Amino acid sequence: MTSSAKSASDPILTLAAKPDDFATRKLHKKHRPIGAYIAVAVIMIIFLFPLLYLFNTALKSSQEFITNPVGLVEHPQWSNFAEAWRLGAFGDYILNTALYTFAGASIGTFIALVMGFPVARKYIRGGKLWNALFVLVLFLPNALMTQFHLLLNLHLYDTRIGYILMVGVGVGIGPLLFSGFVKSIPTELDEAAAIDGIGYWRYLFTFVFPLARPALATIFILQAVWIWNEIILATVLLSDSSKWPIATGLNAFKGTYSNNWTLLAAATMIVAGPLIIGYIFIQKYLVNGVVGAVKG
Amino acid sequence: MAASSSFPFPSRHPVRTSFSVGAIVLIVFAFVPAIAVVVVSFTNLKGLPNLPVDWIGIENYARYFGPARRSDNINALTNTLVFATLATVFQIGIGLAVAILLNRPLKGRNFYRSIVFMPTVLGVTVTALIWSLMFNTSGGPIQSILNAFGTESAFFGDDNIALYLVVFCQVWMQLGVTVIIFLSGLQAIPSDLYEVAGIDGANSWQRFRYVTIPMLAPSITANVLLGIVNAMQSYQLTYVLTGQSNKATQLLSLQVYEQAFGNAQGRQMPGATQGYAAAISMIQFVLVGAITFATLWYLRRREAKL
Repeated sequence: MTSSAKSASDPILTLAAKPDDFATRKLHKKHRPIGAYIAVAVIMIIFLFPLLYLFNTALKSSQEFITNPVGLVEHPQWSNFAEAWRLGAFGDYILNTALYTFAGASIGTFIALVMGFPVARKYIRGGKLWNALFVLVLFLPNALMTQFHLLLNLHLYDTRIGYILMVGVGVGIGPLLFSGFVKSIPTELDEAAAIDGIGYWRYLFTFVFPLARPALATIFILQAVWIWNEIILATVLLSDSSKWPIATGLNAFKGTYSNNWTLLAAATMIVAGPLIIGYIFIQKYLVNGVVGAVKG
Repeated sequence: MAASSSFPFPSRHPVRTSFSVGAIVLIVFAFVPAIAVVVVSFTNLKGLPNLPVDWIGIENYARYFGPARRSDNINALTNTLVFATLATVFQIGIGLAVAILLNRPLKGRNFYRSIVFMPTVLGVTVTALIWSLMFNTSGGPIQSILNAFGTESAFFGDDNIALYLVVFCQVWMQLGVTVIIFLSGLQAIPSDLYEVAGIDGANSWQRFRYVTIPMLAPSITANVLLGIVNAMQSYQLTYVLTGQSNKATQLLSLQVYEQAFGNAQGRQMPGATQGYAAAISMIQFVLVGAITFATLWYLRRREAKL
């Protein structure tokens, strides 16, 4: 980097030093540092190579994988994907996952909205206690066994509804994030709406909801990502494998085909594919949204 | 901040109704099971629903700390602490370096940021399978590199390094979250602070040490806490990567799962001892809480000093 400790007594030196000392950002723009790009390249390799290698493996025939596991694929076997799809019953799993993810994340986001807002506004008694509970949710003990018995007693064991309700509250950070965000909505808006005779429900859903869309989207996405990838609760709470989400299905697939890497890689690509494609569409929103939510 | 105690709407009923709907779901499905864990940890609850349940006091805890399982339990405890410490330290260290790098006006930096965050979206199972393939012992890419140097490794099959490889996978998967929290912290630092430091003749290390680090204190706190809580409680990665009952990578929460549900895929096992599992769960809960609050207390004190 620049050695900018110049003697301040010499006015010419000080002037010359100015571009160095001021606005380091502009400085970086001028000489693009090779070192930074090399570092970025290394990071990109560590993060992208495993995925490319997975894809490469998924396209190999078992024969080719045994004789040449690392090399670039020579005869792409697209049929691996069809085979993995059929053997793993991923069609059903994807539908299950889509349902669980959407329903669970919606429940979680709804809870964040209806609880986070009044607590942040102190419209509810015991707001401090609730805030403490929102934090406590993050620390709750591993409750697999009691969740199992709760659903058993509610006759919700091995039902989609039971699993959805459980994962809906699974990411407890929603109300906490949302009550943080509410501070950026002016209280005057509440008052103005109330004077205009707008009821609380309508206010919450037609005013707060659109205003808080970035925060709610972040909460929704964080939960959706978590639910999409959840495997343990699904194993414990759903005994019927046809109700499993795709991540659990993939884990079971791994147990069955642990030695067949080409098939296993294809199955992993099938699961990762929708995530990668979905991520491409939401990445800007997600990355910025999380930055915003954390700031708030 | 602003006095918001006054209630502008004509009736509190809708507030209470909507709040209650959310609260009931949260209480029933999150808090009730959690509180029930406390109760269950003092009983001999089995996996089967029809067996009698007796109050057995602190027997489960005595059993946990008792000599019969001491070496196994100390092993799981040590693994958990090593795993959580290393994962948190590497996430913070590497995450900070990557965040500073990706905060520079490099060409295509949004793309780089997205790529670093991607494994978080891919999740545990995909991450575990990707790295199982990468660490594949029969000619996988990393084995090939090692072969070039004339050495070999059993990777996840090698008890001396398996835990560290899981740490590596955890850091790979979680780094994006850390980076994003640091990036938001970095963006909140006003650039005139660097200008003033520059006028004072601070070199780049000094600017980092006396401007960046103090200004990032809240982000560091957030990342340390998230890292600890996450790593202390996570076991899905180990579960998929190295399977169950692997001594080298045994973790507290994996013990909970194994004791509660055995090897059965979600079915109730006659041999499962859920009361005991609940006791382990409580021990973990207390440990996570104690470490988190000690860390929080320490970091807050440091923040105040800076």
